[in-house]
Amino acid sequence: MSGTERAVSAKPGTPAPPSAPGVHPKPFWSFRPRSDREAGDAVVSNFLLHWFPAKTYKPSLDWNYSFWLGTASAALFFLLVLSGLPLLLLYVPSVERAYGSVKDIEFVVTFGSWIRAVHRIAAHLMVAAVFLHLVRVFLTGAYKNGTGRGQRREWNWVLGVVMIVLTLFLSFTGYLLPWDQLAYWAVTVGTNIASSVPFVGPEMRELLIGGRTIDQATLLRFYVLHVIFLPAGLGALLAYHMWRIRKDGGLAKADRWTLGSEKTEAPPAKTKTWSLLGVARGQAPAIRAVTLEAADRTVNSVNDLVRRISIVVLGTFAVVSILACFIPSPLEEPANPMITPNPAKAPWYFLWLQEIVTDTTLKIGSFTINGAFLGGVILPTILLGLLTVWPWLDRSPAGAAGIWFHASRKRQNLVFLLVVLLVLAFTIVGTFLRGPYWNFYWPWQAWPELPTRI
Amino acid sequence: MEQRTSSPYPGKDRPVLAVIGVLLVVSTVVFAVTDHRKDWRWYQAEFRKMVAEKFGAEKAATLPAGMKQIWVKDLGRADRCITCHQGILWKGFETAEHPWKTHPVEPLRTHPVEDYGCTACHGGQGWAVESEKAHGPVHFWEEPVLGKAMGEAYSIQGDDKGALMQMNCNVCHRYDRETKGADLINLGKKLVNTKGCRACHVVNGRGGTIGPDLTYVGDKAAEQYDMSRLGGQKTAFAWHVAHLKNPKELVPDTVMPSFGFGTKESQALAALVLSWRRAPVPATYRPGVPRTDPQTTEEIAEEERMKHGPGAWFVSTGCFVCHSVSSLGVKSAAQVGPDLSTAVEDTQKRFGKTVDDFIRNPTGTMSVVLSRQIILTDAEKEVAIQKLREAFAEHQKQKAEPPSAH
Repeated sequence: MSGTERAVSAKPGTPAPPSAPGVHPKPFWSFRPRSDREAGDAVVSNFLLHWFPAKTYKPSLDWNYSFWLGTASAALFFLLVLSGLPLLLLYVPSVERAYGSVKDIEFVVTFGSWIRAVHRIAAHLMVAAVFLHLVRVFLTGAYKNGTGRGQRREWNWVLGVVMIVLTLFLSFTGYLLPWDQLAYWAVTVGTNIASSVPFVGPEMRELLIGGRTIDQATLLRFYVLHVIFLPAGLGALLAYHMWRIRKDGGLAKADRWTLGSEKTEAPPAKTKTWSLLGVARGQAPAIRAVTLEAADRTVNSVNDLVRRISIVVLGTFAVVSILACFIPSPLEEPANPMITPNPAKAPWYFLWLQEIVTDTTLKIGSFTINGAFLGGVILPTILLGLLTVWPWLDRSPAGAAGIWFHASRKRQNLVFLLVVLLVLAFTIVGTFLRGPYWNFYWPWQAWPELPTRI
Repeated sequence: MEQRTSSPYPGKDRPVLAVIGVLLVVSTVVFAVTDHRKDWRWYQAEFRKMVAEKFGAEKAATLPAGMKQIWVKDLGRADRCITCHQGILWKGFETAEHPWKTHPVEPLRTHPVEDYGCTACHGGQGWAVESEKAHGPVHFWEEPVLGKAMGEAYSIQGDDKGALMQMNCNVCHRYDRETKGADLINLGKKLVNTKGCRACHVVNGRGGTIGPDLTYVGDKAAEQYDMSRLGGQKTAFAWHVAHLKNPKELVPDTVMPSFGFGTKESQALAALVLSWRRAPVPATYRPGVPRTDPQTTEEIAEEERMKHGPGAWFVSTGCFVCHSVSSLGVKSAAQVGPDLSTAVEDTQKRFGKTVDDFIRNPTGTMSVVLSRQIILTDAEKEVAIQKLREAFAEHQKQKAEPPSAH
């Protein structure tokens, strides 16, 4: 076939372009292949098709199954790397100059305040998106293996739990960098909770902050973690996470959808071969095949999947960009170890823990129950441990995978939702309803007026 | 090509994608425009017009445009005030409105703007280039501009409504007894001495221990004051004014007596105590700081004695830097050269010359010293020879009569 094609395309007088198997002479690939050869070429040279499947089951494209939260999280991560690059050139990680360099970014760098706002808002949204993604995967039982052989979805779930911890840590390390009061005291509260671990707590805190007080060593440690190790780790895990989704048969819903559907005979085609190059060369034997990827169940990933991903990714960018135009990033007074702001709060996604810490610190006579240990160490460890091993504890049938609130998973879904709601409730109380001295204030109650110097 | 059923998605997804594209363009326009539309551009344009009107277009063309700052490395300040306040060093805009007004010349003579910037004296947020954020008071910036507006808010007594600015003067001038132009602070300092604050309070390392040490009381955070009995503005300054007028009203169990201070006195003292801060002021910015190593009283007395003793000439001429003249009681700190008591003999031995010849035509080190550091006229050289002979005579006299003490 290729021989005749070449003979047809080669006009007399003009030498045919040199071509060898596997070589793609054009800088881009064709979106509208006119022949099998062009199609094969497009597949071989298309990076996206090596991350995405060539064909996509229609249910995978549903808006209301996955809500595309994983894609949104990945988009936010990409945006964070992108907006972090210019900040890398502007921010100075030293206790003397960090605050000033952030003021400069805010006031005099062209588009500086917008770039910083994009970075900050994307970071907050990413924590939220990743958390909601986890909630979605749990409630749909998407960590369960379906019908395919060799599926390892439970390990992708474990990977996801590690990634949410990395996301929180990325956000937490970024929190310190402006070196203002908010940063300094949020990190003080956070690392003090870590130090309540019995026996090794103080040593852990010392390792984390590089000394006994939060100072230059802490700033440098958090900076290097924030810009090198954590993003590199999260990026690598993200790529593996995505690849595993494909290897585990795609979304659980789509996987399930093929269950019980009839296998249809594919028309004999020269598209089935042991080597993709066979397609490109046109030498593939025409074989009869049985397929589940019947034409009426799938669409081409290009353009239908790519278009939807563009909607989610660009839509996320647009939302962050618009929010960044109107929500200025706060920068409080320069960090001052001598003055504790009242109240001193951890970052908002840890406030449910801080709230539990204060609620469980009880004094009964001379006996004190250490709330930091219970709320800051035991509880998160138990929750994270349970989350990690839950796929092995979940005994529901394979048919429950990929369905929102499947009847067989009713009880565990209810318990999980209850825990999620409690975490959210404690977060809301800690964020909005706690004032000076951690006293409770309704939103309509004014906090006592904060005094100023002059 | 394998054919598929027609995809149901493009019809809905394409318009959605288009809307998102529009949103992205809109947000780009919004942030680009907000980043460009800054008030300082207008202030600069207005000032350009004013200069063109007064001095001609040519002069106006020399005006710098864009964001400007004074970077004072010693004080760690980047003051961008001059982005809008372009007229401060221009003559002829003394009666113009802010921010185009000329700065009074007198304070700038001793405090050149390139060494001090603006905020070191005036307060305010030098980083900022927006009016409200630069002048304050704003959240999270505790150093508002201490100008007339602030003075009026506190009903500062007296003619100078901008007197609160003297609190910033006193950060460097805190050890002055009196500072020219800082009348409010001067009044406060006078009261500290006449009312005997040091009977109970330590100030700058001196004083009693009944009350708290006030040396760095200006650093005390506003949150650390008990404002519960204070009416009106809840600020550290207001607290001090009220507390000085009547201590028991704010702190019922205090032992601090009421001195019957009026508003003016209370304001002067409040401004003074709030200026007592642990500010990192470089030594060169502190007036009256000695920039030499201290000498002991014995060293000073010894130097005085040598200056007025029989060897005074060797001291005033500078010989004593290297040479002792032991017979005349002159002792060199360095003692690099030989004792000059025996120079008359010594030059003969060392250089094979009489001392007269040596002084007139020195060789070696002394030729360098006498041509570069201690330059003597011919007449002065004769005096030198004369003095060396006197020293030698004294030396021989002392040798002849052994010390009576032994």
